[in-house]
Amino acid sequence: MTKTARKERHIWLDTMITLVALELMSYFYYGMRAVVLGGVCISVSLITEMICLRFMNRRFTADDLTCTSDALIIALMMPATMDYGIAGIACIFAVVAAKNVFGGRRNIIFSPAAAAYIFMLTSWEKKLLLYPQPHVQTGIFDEPETLVNSASYVYNTTGKMEYTDFELLMGNFSGPAGSVSILLLIISAAMLIFRRDISAGAFTGTIIGTAFLSYIVPASPTAEIGYTFATNMVLFAAVYIISDRRVAPKRGYFAFFYGLFIAVFSYVIVITTGKENAIVIVSVLFTPIALGIKNLEKKIELADAEVSEEKTAAAEADSIAAENDFSEEKTEDTSNE
Amino acid sequence: MNKRRSSVFDGILGDNIVLSSLMVISPVIICGDTFRNAAALIYAFSAITFLSVLISSFVPKKLSYTVKVIMYAVISSLVYIPVKWAAQEFFPGAVERIGIYFPLLAVNSLIIFRSEAELYKLPKGTMILKLIFYILGFDAVMLITGFVRELFAYGTINGRIVDITTPVSGLAQPFGGFIFLGLFCGLYRWIRSVVISKKDEIRSDADVSGK
Amino acid sequence: MFLVNDLITLLAANLILTQALGTSTIFIAAGSRKNLVGTAFVITVFTFIGSVFTFLADKLLPEKYSDFRLLIYVVSIGILYVILLSALYFISRNNFENSRKYIHLSVFNCAVMGTLLTISGRASKNSAITDYISAGFEAGIGFIVAALILTAAYRKLNSSKVPAAFRGFPAMIIYLGIISMAVYSLI
Repeated sequence: MTKTARKERHIWLDTMITLVALELMSYFYYGMRAVVLGGVCISVSLITEMICLRFMNRRFTADDLTCTSDALIIALMMPATMDYGIAGIACIFAVVAAKNVFGGRRNIIFSPAAAAYIFMLTSWEKKLLLYPQPHVQTGIFDEPETLVNSASYVYNTTGKMEYTDFELLMGNFSGPAGSVSILLLIISAAMLIFRRDISAGAFTGTIIGTAFLSYIVPASPTAEIGYTFATNMVLFAAVYIISDRRVAPKRGYFAFFYGLFIAVFSYVIVITTGKENAIVIVSVLFTPIALGIKNLEKKIELADAEVSEEKTAAAEADSIAAENDFSEEKTEDTSNE
Repeated sequence: MNKRRSSVFDGILGDNIVLSSLMVISPVIICGDTFRNAAALIYAFSAITFLSVLISSFVPKKLSYTVKVIMYAVISSLVYIPVKWAAQEFFPGAVERIGIYFPLLAVNSLIIFRSEAELYKLPKGTMILKLIFYILGFDAVMLITGFVRELFAYGTINGRIVDITTPVSGLAQPFGGFIFLGLFCGLYRWIRSVVISKKDEIRSDADVSGK
Repeated sequence: MFLVNDLITLLAANLILTQALGTSTIFIAAGSRKNLVGTAFVITVFTFIGSVFTFLADKLLPEKYSDFRLLIYVVSIGILYVILLSALYFISRNNFENSRKYIHLSVFNCAVMGTLLTISGRASKNSAITDYISAGFEAGIGFIVAALILTAAYRKLNSSKVPAAFRGFPAMIIYLGIISMAVYSLI
């Protein structure tokens, strides 16, 4: 197994561990329905991925399991009561239109989960942005009885936060199934950064950008910086979408500015238009910028390689010249003798 | 004989103007969201393109390229006027629904560029046949696009409600048109490559048996 | 903050991402940086100057002859086509052979004609010539922005890793579709 392949599998495994932890948290708040939703997403993604690979004449390997982590990210961004059919269509969209059409995991352009989320947002906005209250459990095949707006929506439109800091930290407020457990997200981010599974530069850029703007331009007089991170899936997107190594620029400082600009744009959109979860939309809009930066990085790498080649060639030439000088001197000495 | 026939029929599968050359894709993306729009666009495209190319074929070939291109555009924008009047008569409301894409059909690449580069170099009969198949190729794509997008976006077929449990309303939007056309284009290419490779297999088998 | 909002407005008003106007042209233009600059420049010139003709046609043409509007636009663009080619020939005869392809490519395509028709459709009776010109210029800039978006992904979309059936144009259309979807979800 090559080093890259091993690394890819480790990244997937680490990401899955953190996502499963978030899934468990959503089970705690919303019951079995959230787990079944995750299972539906994973199964549909896995089957679709297998079919796509078959069409591309490629074999399904352990590396292709990355589709399951994307599926779980999609499931965690939805309300726990989401229609299974919609969840399935979103996963098919992520695997086919946002990933395999461009060559699959070897040539990722968009974050499949972010593209699928926007796809749902444009087609089923009402179903996607109405959530059950925590601890109100819906049966696996039951229709949800009462759905409410998310805490993000209330915060964006009124500037007020109805929940205590502890509730925010534990994710005990209405919102997407798994992206509101702030404490768990902080732990996940720390673990993934420590294991180098996500781009630390992009993550830091997003956090600093959001913190800076929410400090200098607060959403309301009572707003706190912490509210900005707890709402609009900012922390979740910072960890699993913006810092996704497949999409973010490789070099730390490029990735930092990439994350910073996404944070700035999404924050401005949130406070000027009140658009919920704008960070996910902006992350897709910034894909061309990420690709442009990656092209630049490739050019820099090539230039560096050329310079080091030239240096090696010059050093070799010097050593040959030195050897020649030495042998000439030696010949002269012998002839003098 | 065979070669001539296959080149004439190419407009539908081998060299479809929408899926292969990506011509006239804006109306397909924006207006191809319902069967009714598709039917109106098919009428407009077929009438304008057929008449314009036919009339433009009488433009002297000796003229410079620039003058010829301008003349083709002028002829097609003149043809557009009676076609629009007829559309208002036979497809009430269609002109308003299609909006700017109706006049845009009059300056499509098939009339302005492809005709000059390819069609006018052929004998008149072959040119007309080839033109008809190019038009039929567009019509087929438009019909399929309108049918599929209407079915999955609105859950209807030609305005009649069908039992679709989860309509994907985004498919009726411009971005839905982009994504659908991209997938359709990929599917078309895949089918074409399979057909061509099968033909090659048959041909190579024939060669072997021939020996 | 205003800059961010302006950028979003520019994206939302982009005729390629929202109305698919000039999509075929942009695929050709995004192939190389030289083509991109040349085509985008010529299209901006066409939409910019063409918007003046649109203004004149809208103001001077009586309503009962509105069906002839397309003909007037075509003749206007035709005149502009000849003027641009002549100007290019007299300014730089050496570059004429290489540069005229951008003018040929840009004339009578959806990006130019669609822009003029859109400007005319959106304008009201009280619209001033500056409204037309700014809309024409905005459309040109929108074309450049869309072309840059496509250029950034050009190498990846044409890579050998992309399945043969989707390599090139189909992948480009889907890529633009997803970006267009993100823009749509912001509006």
